Amino acid sequence: MTAHGSRTVVLTGATGFLGSHLLAALLTRGDRVAVLGRGSAGESLATRIERLLAWFGLQALGNRVETAEIDFLQPLCGLARDRYDALCAKGGRIIHCASDTRFAASNRPESLATNVDSLAQLIELARNSGAPWFHYVSTAYAAGTSNPYCPEAPVTGETFVNVYEETKARAEQEVAARCRMHGIPYTIIRPSIVYGDARSGRANRFNALYLHVRSLSCIRDIYLEDIRDHGGRKARECGIRLGAQGTLHIPLKVAVARRGQVNLIPVDYFVAATLMLLEQAQPGTIYHLTSDFPKTLEDLAAYCEAFLNIRGIEIVYGEPLGRSLTPPEALFNRFIEPYLPYLADSRTFARDNTIAATAGLSPPEFTYEIFARCMAHAVRANWGK
Amino acid sequence: MDEALHTARSCRHYAMCKIDFLGSGVCASGTAKQYVSYYPQGRMDLYAALAQGKIPVTEQCVAIADSCDLCGKCDYQCCFVTEMRPSTVMKALKDHVSRHLAAGGAVEQAVEDPLLKDIRAIVGTAWATSDRGIAATYAHDPCALAVSQMPAYVVLPRTREEIAALLTLFRSHEVPWVVRANGTSVLGFHLCAGAVIDLNRMKDIAFDEKNWAVRIGPGVAAFDLQREAVRRGYRVNVAEPAALVCGSTMCSGILSLFSAAYGTSADNFIDAEFVAPDGSLFSLNDKDAPNLFAFRKTGQGTPGICTSLTVKLHPRTDDEAGVLVPFRSLAEALDFAGECAVRRIGLAIGVLGAEYVASFIAPTRQLAAEAREAFENRLGIACMVLVIGDRYALRSITDMGHPVIDQRLFTALSLGLPALKSASWLDLVAELAAEEPFSYLKIEGFVELAEAALAPSPAKLARETAPELRGFYEKLYARPELTNLVWLNMFRITSTRIGRDKHFFPLLMYLPLDHSLISALNDGFSRIGERHQLKHEFGFVTPVDGGKRCIYEFDYFYDQNDRDDIARVQRATQEAGELIETHAAREGTIRWLKYLLYQGYCRKENLLYA
Repeated sequence: MTAHGSRTVVLTGATGFLGSHLLAALLTRGDRVAVLGRGSAGESLATRIERLLAWFGLQALGNRVETAEIDFLQPLCGLARDRYDALCAKGGRIIHCASDTRFAASNRPESLATNVDSLAQLIELARNSGAPWFHYVSTAYAAGTSNPYCPEAPVTGETFVNVYEETKARAEQEVAARCRMHGIPYTIIRPSIVYGDARSGRANRFNALYLHVRSLSCIRDIYLEDIRDHGGRKARECGIRLGAQGTLHIPLKVAVARRGQVNLIPVDYFVAATLMLLEQAQPGTIYHLTSDFPKTLEDLAAYCEAFLNIRGIEIVYGEPLGRSLTPPEALFNRFIEPYLPYLADSRTFARDNTIAATAGLSPPEFTYEIFARCMAHAVRANWGK
Repeated sequence: MDEALHTARSCRHYAMCKIDFLGSGVCASGTAKQYVSYYPQGRMDLYAALAQGKIPVTEQCVAIADSCDLCGKCDYQCCFVTEMRPSTVMKALKDHVSRHLAAGGAVEQAVEDPLLKDIRAIVGTAWATSDRGIAATYAHDPCALAVSQMPAYVVLPRTREEIAALLTLFRSHEVPWVVRANGTSVLGFHLCAGAVIDLNRMKDIAFDEKNWAVRIGPGVAAFDLQREAVRRGYRVNVAEPAALVCGSTMCSGILSLFSAAYGTSADNFIDAEFVAPDGSLFSLNDKDAPNLFAFRKTGQGTPGICTSLTVKLHPRTDDEAGVLVPFRSLAEALDFAGECAVRRIGLAIGVLGAEYVASFIAPTRQLAAEAREAFENRLGIACMVLVIGDRYALRSITDMGHPVIDQRLFTALSLGLPALKSASWLDLVAELAAEEPFSYLKIEGFVELAEAALAPSPAKLARETAPELRGFYEKLYARPELTNLVWLNMFRITSTRIGRDKHFFPLLMYLPLDHSLISALNDGFSRIGERHQLKHEFGFVTPVDGGKRCIYEFDYFYDQNDRDDIARVQRATQEAGELIETHAAREGTIRWLKYLLYQGYCRKENLLYA
């Protein structure tokens, strides 16, 4: 029993990046957690959770976790009546982290199903279980692109850079409407782009920023091997050369529509702030978990060059590159293509509600030291492979 | 079991040692003597028979052992396909016979009985024998359904008239006979206690270019015919390279990925000449000939011996190339193949399973396993569709929006295979394409990147082979055709690698190109394979007749020397047959190999729709 008593929290998305860290934090503070989710690739949800707990070193707390494999698109979440009733009897607050984070328009049906359609059954579960709270983890970018200043307020924008933003915005509206209809207190938590633990560098998912660094690392390794083991003909064709101190010069132009800034927060801040919000939240309130110190592309490019011991990244703003790309340029530009809107993003985010509810807790600035710590961990973890 | 005997007993009878598919030459004694016994394949069987005490040392055993000069050509050929090293067996055979002779052992002399005397009167003394050393090499095949039978006589006629005389003779003496040409029996149908008629001497090839035709004897292998056709600027539709064209046509009709454009069964030939079982002669173009163009959905007996086949020649263009189109599921691949066929895009179309592609591309089983792991698990490729066509066909595929592995990338993958296992970039590109499968293949310059990453070269690939064969493999893979999709599929020299680990039993059928039906059969065959603990794989699907139907193969793999494995595959094929019959009864559109046997000369329309 903890200071706030042993409570049951119902959590979705616990196998994801944010959800797994929340699960660990909830268990650590003494909560019991009912994890709702799906199996994957022949592996049960329970097994996946067991593996996650091992990653956090929390195997001993496994007895506080209960899993239920559910389907949010089915009546009773796809559970038998008795199982559904047992789930309702837990009566805890619900934290909904599960999300389809893919950007591609081709995934619209799946994104809509996971991010929007699923809410009907989930909020019905909240109603039937008498859940005291419904906390929805959204994204800071759900505000849309119509206004460069994003208040902690309901979505009004109608233009989005991808289907992910669009469906998260629709989900927020759905959560608000359904929770109001059933009288369920709710909050919406909007993190920006989340990286690993700023203090330890640890992470168990390596998407977004990590993917860019990993792709640069991969390109570097291909041409280093070409130079060292195969005479370097392919490298020379791309203007790539090995300089002093083993620095690899890779002429790599990156085309971005306009200057922007990347809003990054560490997962430890996301967790700490969210736990505080669970205690301090006001019904119907939106909270931005964002940084007041977003980084420019030049900052991030410099971080990458320093970490990978490469040179030659050049950010080109405006029109697409006016020449054919070298193979590594084409690959890298293709890699970052889905993320380009975020690299050219100039939106800023209000944090008043968050500051008030979290006693002024703020994320650290994303310095090179934090970047290097996180990427070093990613390399050690072989990028999660 | 010693290594030589194990190798000898593992001979798959694919007869690749009888064709010069690598340009490294063919066993000289086989070429001179013609009996399969004088080829490495025959020596494998002979050694196994001697080492297991099944036959005594005979006069021909001594001659066969003496005729081998241990040149090692068979190692190149067999290793390329199966990774086996026949020269170990060749040496063991010579040692076995030498030891026997040195110890003063008896050498059995074959007795010329009256029938053999009559046979020899027809074909000549050299071309008929009852020597048990020769007979042992015609006595079994690796098929799980085969029952070994030692023939009393082996006869190699040269002409149609000799065959007619032989059949008349056998009929009058009530001697059962079977006909083989290349010793390539792998389905258990050509074993007999009477006479085996080997047509290996009948290798005539006569082109009639004005009529887009080539007339061939029944001893002509697919590879040899294709080589001659290609030399003249044509192509023929043929089966596996060592398979006899007449035999393949008789057995099942010609099935190949080129059947998408060239058709199947009677589409492939203009005429054929036969000797009927009673010794009479007929040609298919005779008005009163037996109607072999008909198809009956019942088992049929042999219509006789095909003594010549006039095969269609097809034109080639100098812009032909191949692409592999990857797919995440069999259903998607089947739909794409069907769309190509309906739109008449491509000359050859084949949906290939991951096992097929990996086996074909890799010169060793280790590399094949790594390739499969890379394709299937890391890149998420369940199937690939091979399309060969001219530049207009290939442009159409690009226009259809599909990412493709083109010829240049295929070459890079083939010669860079050893680098795939450790290529961390594979995982990255797969993640890149998570939202649009295989979209990395569309990246400008991706092939250059792959070349930089894989550093493909013949030397690199050769390093993965046995040290003493590396020099040979390096020279071999320096030849562009060894990684050329058109050449490889036209000559099919790597397709027999599917049997590299184990021999296989193919379930072959014609049916509508309907992904639900094929998936249902595929799932059913897989369940049967799992139940009987047999390795099993989807083989291939090729559309025919503009995509209205297709040819579908599923394979069960088994150790041909393992009694338990053989028993399991027998049960599995029995159950698979019942499954096919169930679907066939329900659909009314499925025709499988069981009924096609001996009806390969039928009209495609009779086979598919009547």
